[in-house]
Amino acid sequence: MPKVVHHPAYGRYDLGPEHPFSPGRIDMVLDLLRELGIALDPVAATPVTIENLLAVHAEDYVRAVEAASAGEAGAEQASFGLGTADNPIVPGMGEAARWLAGGTLHGARMIAAGDAELVLQLGGGFHHARHRLASGFCLYNDLALAIRHLVSQRKRVAYLDVDVHHGDGVQEIFYTDEDVLTLSFHESGEYLFPGTGWPHELGQGMGRGLKLNVPLEPFTEGDSYFSALERVSVPALDFFRPDVLVVQCGADAHHLDPLADLMLTTQDFERIFRFILRLAGEYTGGRALFTLGGGYSMRVTPRVWAILYLVLHGLPIPEALPAAWLERWRDRLGSPSLSTLHDGAEPYPAVPRRGEITRQNAMMVDRLLDAVARYWL
Amino acid sequence: MLVREIMHADPVSIGPDTPIERAAAMMREGNIRHLPVVEGDRLVGVVTDRDLRLATSSLSTRPSAPSAPVREVMSHPVETTHPLDPIEVAARVMRELKIGCLPVLDGPRLVGIVTGVDILDALLQLTGVERPSGRIEVRLVDQPGELARLTALLGEQKLNIHSILSYPDGEHRGRTVLRVGTMDVRALAERLCDAGFEVLWPSVQPCRR
Repeated sequence: MPKVVHHPAYGRYDLGPEHPFSPGRIDMVLDLLRELGIALDPVAATPVTIENLLAVHAEDYVRAVEAASAGEAGAEQASFGLGTADNPIVPGMGEAARWLAGGTLHGARMIAAGDAELVLQLGGGFHHARHRLASGFCLYNDLALAIRHLVSQRKRVAYLDVDVHHGDGVQEIFYTDEDVLTLSFHESGEYLFPGTGWPHELGQGMGRGLKLNVPLEPFTEGDSYFSALERVSVPALDFFRPDVLVVQCGADAHHLDPLADLMLTTQDFERIFRFILRLAGEYTGGRALFTLGGGYSMRVTPRVWAILYLVLHGLPIPEALPAAWLERWRDRLGSPSLSTLHDGAEPYPAVPRRGEITRQNAMMVDRLLDAVARYWL
Repeated sequence: MLVREIMHADPVSIGPDTPIERAAAMMREGNIRHLPVVEGDRLVGVVTDRDLRLATSSLSTRPSAPSAPVREVMSHPVETTHPLDPIEVAARVMRELKIGCLPVLDGPRLVGIVTGVDILDALLQLTGVERPSGRIEVRLVDQPGELARLTALLGEQKLNIHSILSYPDGEHRGRTVLRVGTMDVRALAERLCDAGFEVLWPSVQPCRR
């Protein structure tokens, strides 16, 4: 059985009522699971310490975040990406981010110690946080902390990122690392934040050939996405032979997401999660740490992450959404009213450029595999 | 952007009597393709790896010996540029003459060299992604105040503009591509749309206006 990690303090990571990264998303998943009759008994972890954070962040950066979080003004805040539209300064944000990072790190510790194989952290996934920069709603890179711990315990880690945005922070932190493979599938940086994640970003030094990026065309649909995922992840894992998978499960590649332009459905997400679970079974003896991530449609994200929970637990996917849940979150769910956990039939109008987009994505995968072949000899 | 910001300062140079084989070795060692030829403190020519290869090729109609001086094969007179020239002027000269480099002269003195690769680097700096940022593309009417109206709106949203690029798009129109410090460009696009801008990316539903 998977271990589930969560703590109510995660809800304190709240960047404001207008901010898309709402803690309400996790509340809605927990409530949905409960209403589906699941008895949740998550493992709680403690927040990471400042010391812990220095494994992946610069000390001056951590100090700046904590000072801003404590309400102290600092001239250097802007240069660390703090006080922007995406990363506003909110009292207590540093501690809240450390609670979330603590959960992800705890998941990694359980796996490294052999106390767990499969872990689902119901939070985290702050893949944009860089060594010295807050970015894209992220302060502390919980994924990088978890990966660094696993590497320190002599584990080879494959990081898989299906968030619609490039996992630039994780890639940056492990860019020269030979023990970490990073794979990111995202909407092309030509069109979407953060603008990086190109096939030529292959890593440096001993990390060369171990950082892989698949930029996908806007309006990419499930089949084309899945083909890219399969064609890249299987040979990469065959070559790298990881001990553990770390997976960022952002739900923002869904077609209704307000921040991006890919066209996945909840059915596509189910297929993706099942596939990744199979990869864990085949390559890492089932050892895998899953986190949440982006996902900004209240109608979609709780359903995708409930599906993630059900898939990881080997539970059937129920058809109907519980009436009590629909009623409780009616305002956030908006209209038209929802009734099923999965998307309905024909969830969006046909994409007119489907053939062209599919070809373009397939060529992108060809080019990536060609470019990386010489490093996989 | 000025030539002095992208040039290589104090470039390796050679005298006109340097043997071709010595010049070729210097290019190999320095991993460079262009050598200014200087006599006294005067620039007298430029020699490129292509000049050397052609001069010593069996296909050449007038082959030179490896020991021959570079003055036999160098290009001269030389097109040059000045440290305070805008890079687009340097690029224009290189493009029109189809040449790969321009020595940079301050008065008679050789102070630097600019190559095609430096121009590409400048292009990357101008168009590239230096910080994590979202992209927004707007078609503007080519008239005074339009860009100011656009940037003022971004300022009101407290959004940092990391880079801005404009190019003509048909008559009386221009495309402006902005890289802005936010992940949530669609909310911004909707505001721009409401304010009457023609937003080309991200795709937005019909405006509320």
